[in-house]
Amino acid sequence: MKKRMRKLAGLMGVTVLTVAMMTGCGNSGDVTTSDTKEETDVETASETEKAGQTDDETEASDDETKQTALSDEEIIRTAAADGTVGNWGLGNEYEILALLAKYDLPTDYLSQDFTMDGFDDDSISLASAMTYNELGLVQNDYDGGYGYGDSIGIIDMNDQGVAMLEDNIFCKGEFAKENPETVKAFLYASLKGWEYAMENPAEAAEICYEYGSSVSAEHQAYMADEVAKLVNTDMSGNTVTDIGNMDDAAMQQTLDIAKKYVSLDDANASEKLQAMTLDDIRDSSYIDAAKSSDGTFTVEKPEVSIQLKWLPDAQFMGYYVALDKGYYEEVGLTVNIVAGGGDIAETTAVNNGTVDFGVTWVSNLASANAGGMDLLEVAQVFQRSGLVLVYKPENFN
Amino acid sequence: MAHMIKRRKSFFQKMRENEKVQSISTVVLPVLLGIVILALWQGQQLHALFHTDTFTLPIPTTIGEIFIDNLDKIGKNTVSTVVVALIGLILGSLLGYGIAVLAAVFPKFGKGGLSIIGAFASIPVVALAPVLNNWTKDVSKDASVRSMVAKILVVMLIAAADMGLNAYRGLTELEQYSEDLMATYAAKKRVTFLKLRLPNSLPYVFTALKVAVPASIMTTIVSEYFAEYITGIGRQIRENIVLAQYSTAWAYILTACLIGIASYVILMIVQSIALRNYH
Repeated sequence: MKKRMRKLAGLMGVTVLTVAMMTGCGNSGDVTTSDTKEETDVETASETEKAGQTDDETEASDDETKQTALSDEEIIRTAAADGTVGNWGLGNEYEILALLAKYDLPTDYLSQDFTMDGFDDDSISLASAMTYNELGLVQNDYDGGYGYGDSIGIIDMNDQGVAMLEDNIFCKGEFAKENPETVKAFLYASLKGWEYAMENPAEAAEICYEYGSSVSAEHQAYMADEVAKLVNTDMSGNTVTDIGNMDDAAMQQTLDIAKKYVSLDDANASEKLQAMTLDDIRDSSYIDAAKSSDGTFTVEKPEVSIQLKWLPDAQFMGYYVALDKGYYEEVGLTVNIVAGGGDIAETTAVNNGTVDFGVTWVSNLASANAGGMDLLEVAQVFQRSGLVLVYKPENFN
Repeated sequence: MAHMIKRRKSFFQKMRENEKVQSISTVVLPVLLGIVILALWQGQQLHALFHTDTFTLPIPTTIGEIFIDNLDKIGKNTVSTVVVALIGLILGSLLGYGIAVLAAVFPKFGKGGLSIIGAFASIPVVALAPVLNNWTKDVSKDASVRSMVAKILVVMLIAAADMGLNAYRGLTELEQYSEDLMATYAAKKRVTFLKLRLPNSLPYVFTALKVAVPASIMTTIVSEYFAEYITGIGRQIRENIVLAQYSTAWAYILTACLIGIASYVILMIVQSIALRNYH
């Protein structure tokens, strides 16, 4: 009896503790056990939203007054004063630092985790989001989404003039020199994949999903649409037809912001970064050759690999489409796509030869080269910044 | 041993058995090994051995230069890491000892409590830290405060488990018949506890601390990865590795090592003072 009592008491204790812990993190999108609860929450949220839209016309006008009530600048100032601007850090933060510096604000920010819980619970009032990922989760109400719809405010880095170029294709400078045909062939097939994905984003999303996606099928479809916008629109909103083009002005803006806001503690690296020019980080001869080629290459290295900047999803749809449609085989390449997102950064993996190609952001490539690496950008896939800041207008009255 | 001693000892044997030489060699040999490794490292023979390059394993002089250039920044980060580790260690040790005392006084429930705390300690820090981050969101409006509380809680749990399990052994594994002896003196339970159990647990407390001190520093460093407020040695190591700034990351790794060594030395000194009159 006593033994059983003791066991029961122990079990009770454990349950009480677990329940206490769970209530603490009940609204986390990652916790699988709370998924069902969350779904119902999202549903009720969207229901009330619908009700609000149909029954209450005053709310719509309210929204308008709210939007005109505070300008983007005032919102940035308020959030910065409260110290509630969020970003993931780890090389993603330079546009935010540039934005804060633009308004002469202290460049402090909170470290955001890879969910939008901080935005949801208001601990981060001005949160970073990528248009093709977190923004969709905040707005949409599919599985894993927060269902805020159009009620949230968005500040776009492109409009603010602090945009930096993101996803590119790069390899080691030495590798490009020794395997020029391989690089050209890889670019030729990858760009063909991107072109197809741009024309058929829905199919591209499905392909990504089949190749072991890190997100749901619905979110994948959303991502494909948004990524397409980044590939065919430049920083000022003009249409880009030349996929993968390395626009000098945009790259220079990126490098200039990087020089100002990437702080390297290593004095040598810091000096090297300040002296860096575009010619130190990119070479457009490979993509030019790929574009004027007829699609036949004599590749030096038939088996190559590419490490992504993040987990597999439609952010990288061009490569998955090229793989799935056999574009890589057509040019004589067998390509292995390696997921990113771990702590071995793509720059390190490419530099030490673990993989041949990589997808990274221009600023990350520049700081890696400043640290002594020999990396070379050979194509610029995203033509504008995908970073936005999101806020709830009701927090800024 | 006696039967092994031969009449004529060789020079080396004499040296080996000389106490002075022994005490010198226990210091000199490890230092020599360290110097040899450093020399191989600086001369890049180590890089050849591990098939690595000077980016991923920067040479000591580069690391040293960055360390000296950034003493200010490193100092600030060190303070933030050490404060969290120390507060977590103290609170955790007190909690662990308290639970051990409860377990010794009420053995029926106590053993269960100890297993629960042991179970908590076996949760990886990478899983525990984000959970506690979310849990402490309402503690303070100031992100630096709530972030610190979250980190301290993680360290506390780890330290409490080490202390609890060891201290319980110290409070219960008494010398044979000592309890009976106290009984023959007609000592009250309280007296037995104060005069017998508490002193008996002291060496066990230090055994626990020898594990808990490095563990609390490691735990702080790992939980800094996930903290909302950006500060600390651990966070700097991660930022710099992700940004491919390995030399700078190594300067912070060196700092982490120095913190670990310094805290161990302090612990050894405290132990030698505390246990001076023991037995």
